[in-house]
Amino acid sequence: MSPRRGEGRLFLGFILLFALHFYVRPRVFDGRAAPDFLLCALMLVAVRSRPGWAAVAGFLVGLASDVLTPAAFGAGALAHTVVAYIAAWGRAVFFPDNLLVNAGLFAGGVWLRNAIVLLASGTPSGQLSSGLLVWAPLQAVSTAAAGLILLLLFRDWFAIRIEA
Amino acid sequence: MIRAPGRATSRSDTLLFLTCLGLSAGALALPASVSLPFATTLRDTALRPLLWVQERAEEGRTSRTRFEAVEAERDSAALAAQAMAGLRSENERLRALLSLRERVSSTAVPAEVLHQIDPTGGRTLLLSAGAGSGVRPGDPVVSPDGLLGVLLSVGRESAIAMTWAHPDFRVSAVTEDGTVLGIVAPSFNTEASESFLEFRGVAYRDTVATGTLVMTSGLGGVYPKGLPIGRVAGLGREQLGWERIYRLAPLANPGHVAHVLVVRTPAGPEPPP
Repeated sequence: MSPRRGEGRLFLGFILLFALHFYVRPRVFDGRAAPDFLLCALMLVAVRSRPGWAAVAGFLVGLASDVLTPAAFGAGALAHTVVAYIAAWGRAVFFPDNLLVNAGLFAGGVWLRNAIVLLASGTPSGQLSSGLLVWAPLQAVSTAAAGLILLLLFRDWFAIRIEA
Repeated sequence: MIRAPGRATSRSDTLLFLTCLGLSAGALALPASVSLPFATTLRDTALRPLLWVQERAEEGRTSRTRFEAVEAERDSAALAAQAMAGLRSENERLRALLSLRERVSSTAVPAEVLHQIDPTGGRTLLLSAGAGSGVRPGDPVVSPDGLLGVLLSVGRESAIAMTWAHPDFRVSAVTEDGTVLGIVAPSFNTEASESFLEFRGVAYRDTVATGTLVMTSGLGGVYPKGLPIGRVAGLGREQLGWERIYRLAPLANPGHVAHVLVVRTPAGPEPPP
C-alpha cells in the first residue's frame, strides 16, 4: 500500500470516528458511560505524532469539549492536552500498532481525562469518588470495547496488527 | 498526518506542551463573562456543522425510541386538558370576586437536549434552541418532571443551560402548601452516585415532612411560581439552632432528559411610582 493511500485511509478513519461521535453515539448510547469516540481519535493521532503536536491536538479537542459543556471552561483542554502528550510520549515504551495496546490506551486515556476534568472543575468529594471509581471506569471499558471493535473492523485503515 | 520521529521528546515538543498547558490554565482562570461569549461564538461558527449533525441524530433517536412515551404523555395531557375550560372560568370568576389582577401568563419554547460527554455529570446542558427561537439568558428550563435549570448563555441556534447540579445553582423555593420558604441549592455532601439538592434557610421553628413537594416561590423574578423542584428526603443538618437544611430529591434528571421547555415569562407591568 502506498504511503499516500495509507494516509487517505487514516484520514477516512478519523472522519468515521467523528461521525460515530456526533451521529451514532447520540442515537444509540445514553448516559455517562457512553463510549467517547473523539478520545479514540485523539489517542490514535497522539501515538502517531510527536508529543508537542499531540498536545496541540489534545488542546483543540479539549477546547471543543469545553465549548459544548462549559461547566468549567478550560478543564477539558487541560485534561486532553495532558492525556495526548502522555500517550505520544509513552510511544517509546509500547507498540502503538498493537490491538490490545490501543484498547488499553483508550481505557487509560478516558479514565485519566475524566479524573483531571473532575479535579480541575472542583467537583465535591462525593461526586468525585463516584466519578473516579464508578463512571470513569465504566466509560473507559465501553470506550475500549468500542475502539477494539472499530480497530478490528478497520484495522487496515488504522495500520493495526492483529496478533497480540 | 505528522510522522513520528525516532528520537525522544525534543525541546520544541516540551515548549508546545507547556504553551498548551498555559493556555488551558488561562482558560480555567477566565471569568464567565469572557469564557461564555467566547464559547458561544465558537459554537455558532466552527462547531456548528458538528452540532447540526448531532441535532439530526437526536431527532432520529426521538422518532425511533421515544414515540410511544410521547404518545402516552400526549394522551395524559389531552385528558387533563378536558377539565381546563371549567377550571379557567372558575379561576377567572374567583379572581374577579377577590379583585386580583390577571395571572402572568408564560409561553414555552421546546428544545432538544444535545447530550455531550461530560465527566462532571450534567452540570450544563447543550440545547438546540437559540436566540432565533426567542430564548434569552436567564430563562428557566423545565422538563415534564420539573425544574431543570436556567439558561446561562444563548447563541444563534443553541444555548447552554445551567442545571440544578451546577454548584452556582440557586432558586427561591416554597413547600407545596406555601407555609415554608427557603433556598434550594445543590448538595455538596453527595453520597455515591446519588445527587441531592438542599432546601436551605428553613427557620428552626418550621419542620417539613418527608415527601413534601417543594416548588419555586416566584420570588426574585427569574423562575415563575409553581415549578416543581423536588421532594423532601429527610433532614440534612441543623445550623447552630437557627436554621434547618433538608435533603431534597430532585424530580428532573438532567442525564436522561431528551426534550425540555424553555419558559418565557413576559416582563411584568411597571411598578407604580
